[in-house]
Amino acid sequence: MHSHIYKHPRFAVVGHPNKGKSSIVSALALDDSVQISDTPGTTSKKRSFPLKVDGKTLYELIDTPGFQRARRVLAWLEQHEVSADKKHEIVSAFIDEHREDARFNDEIELLEPIMDGAGIIYVVDGSKPYGEEYEAEMEVLRWTGQPSMALINHIDDDDYSQEWKRALGQYFKMVRTFNPMQTNMDQHISILESMAQLREEWIKPVKASIKLFERYQEQKLEQSSQMITRLIADGLNHVEKLTLLDNEILDIPKEKIETNYKEKLRHLELDVQKNIESVWDHAHLHKEQTTLTFEDLDLFSEEAASVFGLTRKELIITGVTSGAVTGAGIDLLFAGHTLLLGGAIGGLVGAAGAYFGFDELSDIKVLGQTVGKRTLVMGPMKNRNFPYILLGRAIFYTSKTANRSHASRNVADFKMDSTFKEKWLDEGLRKSLEACHKKFRSGSALQPEVSEEYAQLIKKVLVKLIK
Amino acid sequence: MSLKSYLDLYTLLQTDKSSREERRAFSLSQITEKHRPIDQLLSWVKNHQYRLKKPKLSETLSSYLYTMTLTLVVIAIITGILSGIALLSYNGHEPVNVVYFMAMVIALPLVTMTLTLFSMFRAQSTQSVLVHISPSYWMEKVFKLFSDKKYNSLETLKINPLLSNWIVIKRAQCIALFFSLGLLLSLLAVVATKDIAFAWSTTLQVTPESFYNFLNTLAFPWKEWIPAAIPSFELIEQSQYFRLGDKLSEEMIANASQLGEWWKFLTLATLFYAILLRVLMYIIASLGLRYALKRSFLTLENVSTLLRDMNEPVISTHALTPEKHFVSHTENEVQSLCHLHASYDMLQGWAIPQDQLRVMSDSMQVISPNLFEVGGGNSLQEDSEIISKSHGEVLLYVKAWEPPTMDFMDYLEELIQIADKVIVYPVGAASKGYSTEPKFIAIWVKKLTLFKHEKVCLLDSNYKAVDA
Repeated sequence: MHSHIYKHPRFAVVGHPNKGKSSIVSALALDDSVQISDTPGTTSKKRSFPLKVDGKTLYELIDTPGFQRARRVLAWLEQHEVSADKKHEIVSAFIDEHREDARFNDEIELLEPIMDGAGIIYVVDGSKPYGEEYEAEMEVLRWTGQPSMALINHIDDDDYSQEWKRALGQYFKMVRTFNPMQTNMDQHISILESMAQLREEWIKPVKASIKLFERYQEQKLEQSSQMITRLIADGLNHVEKLTLLDNEILDIPKEKIETNYKEKLRHLELDVQKNIESVWDHAHLHKEQTTLTFEDLDLFSEEAASVFGLTRKELIITGVTSGAVTGAGIDLLFAGHTLLLGGAIGGLVGAAGAYFGFDELSDIKVLGQTVGKRTLVMGPMKNRNFPYILLGRAIFYTSKTANRSHASRNVADFKMDSTFKEKWLDEGLRKSLEACHKKFRSGSALQPEVSEEYAQLIKKVLVKLIK
Repeated sequence: MSLKSYLDLYTLLQTDKSSREERRAFSLSQITEKHRPIDQLLSWVKNHQYRLKKPKLSETLSSYLYTMTLTLVVIAIITGILSGIALLSYNGHEPVNVVYFMAMVIALPLVTMTLTLFSMFRAQSTQSVLVHISPSYWMEKVFKLFSDKKYNSLETLKINPLLSNWIVIKRAQCIALFFSLGLLLSLLAVVATKDIAFAWSTTLQVTPESFYNFLNTLAFPWKEWIPAAIPSFELIEQSQYFRLGDKLSEEMIANASQLGEWWKFLTLATLFYAILLRVLMYIIASLGLRYALKRSFLTLENVSTLLRDMNEPVISTHALTPEKHFVSHTENEVQSLCHLHASYDMLQGWAIPQDQLRVMSDSMQVISPNLFEVGGGNSLQEDSEIISKSHGEVLLYVKAWEPPTMDFMDYLEELIQIADKVIVYPVGAASKGYSTEPKFIAIWVKKLTLFKHEKVCLLDSNYKAVDA
């Protein structure tokens, strides 16, 4: 047998067929490409999932096929009467002798990494009753002499974890519960901490990995908030142009430019959604998506405005506040000699702008009429509610994607929640956002400080929403 | 950091397909530039120069800007010389009014420089009126109509408005500087080649005294250094000129040699207000452009991604190799299903202890003289013994939720050698009344369909099965 020397910790995820080994690997490795199905034998070859940082492996998870002939393996091992310290040699001998034996393909695949030094993570389904047939598997694993722990997975709702714990406690020094379908960052880290305890020399690298996972999560939050910031800034500043043919009647091109304008904004949103999926390692996300986003809820629909955007009242309050702040600046400049009229007028102007700009998207202007070549121009976005709609949808999509388990293979359900806005948007945030929206709309080049400030606001929201 | 490197970065980022790993590897090889984003970007541009297609956009734009600026500068210096000559034109009958020249070399520069300062503050704006009314902006637009076709590629170029505004501002300073140099040249040339009688004249009620004070104020920068370049009170008094009457005053004629002394003041005023201050503005504009370049470097689309890719460690948790796609082999012919009968020759439970088996058969009202646990905790030897005792119809209970392992299939294969018929019966947990979910049955059906043996039939716990 060829024995490899690995400097990093390795963990082989083993167990009975169909007990969620691949789901656990998928969740721990944040990899949604792992094949997971109800059909036993989906995993036929061991597969390694290393945690790499700049090419250096910190630890490695190994997904393995399930035990198929555990009793036969055990029977073979028990034929050899040896002391405890020699038992692992017998397992190695078994691998060597049966490497070409198709009957033990799966057993060889799962025992090989263990005999190469991998720690054992034995997976069982705690929603199904304990059975004696598992004992042969656990006994075989005991023969390997490798450090081991058991993970109780919960595929269904029933709970038999107490009987499992009693049984597993006799074979494994650590028994933990882990549901890959409902995992979050804290649980993930907690499992890694347990894995680190399997061998003393693994504590340091696994702890380093935990720190990296936390940094990885931070990276994802930063990337998402930057993407959303760019989406809002680009969405607000986008200008659609359409060159008119000679003597063309304006009605048809006006309709066309509006369609093109909306289409462009929808594409911006879809692009960001795709990038968000990639950032959160959900590149294989299955979703029922037609040309419209969120199924029936288009970016420009009234429902989207009511669910994600601000109500007319909220928008007016925001308009009043931001206008009054500008006006108050003028009052301050004149040391109050304006009798605070600046603030009052600013507030009124802000309110009027918000009121009349509630439904309006943008003006459609004809440029260059006098020169001869006429161009229709639509944008930048005038509608004050639009950034909130776009932002609300982006935050909703990001939080849904980020909270989705990598073990889930169901079609993603992005169902709306009418209370979603209340979960992230309060008055203070609305004021801060509006100040940035104003700068985005000003027609000036995007200032790094403003986009950074905006990204920070979004990041705080995402931190709150993402488990 | 230059406009050229900015444009190279702009072009590279539009076509760059490098992976995150490649970007990170590049960054790790440039340790000294860590946390200096501009230097990092410049190094990256330098390293990827080979990927830029010729002619490079940066070269095209540089050539365009050079040609355009040179054309405008030449026009400005010629206009400056011609304006100077026109302002200093002297026909021998009337003296040259210095107020015109002063307006051109003092007032106009001060006004335009003030407007420039305002435009500098508004340089962020995409629609900066002050920038758009600058001659360097609209003159370029006019000349663009006649420019070479090779510059058409610049039409699609979208550079940061902050940067384009600063380019216009800087170029405007350059043009104004050369215009002023033209004025100075013409002044010196005219003074050297002609005998000019300078005078001052205005419709406003300005006394020589107040005009003297005004000029003294204007001359404050050089007052201490070159006092000769400040017109004396006498000179101002003598050179005041009124248009009434078509002759020069007697006093002016008597002091004709003195009137030419004004040139020193005009030269110094041109040097200071039109040239020195403009040079200062040019320096400010250059610094502004540098600042704009720095800002634009960092706000260029995809730059933040590039910087992040270079500076953040690449963390990967994914499998290195793609997974072989699992294909489920199912035959068209479905495994035969059968009914539950009241009695069997033998009842066996795969990994089901005998006592549980007894309870189960009782609850299902199935009787048999022989009940055995197989698989599970049994040894292979014990299983073989049970097989040897098997005969007739065997009802083999299995836990529906446990998928059939090869261990089970081995047992089944041995069993059918002895038994006449084996009825595999997947059952649910006792707590569920032994009923099970269709998804578990489906797995058993699939497995037994693959096994396909006439002696084996599957019994659905929902009792909806048909005879084989």
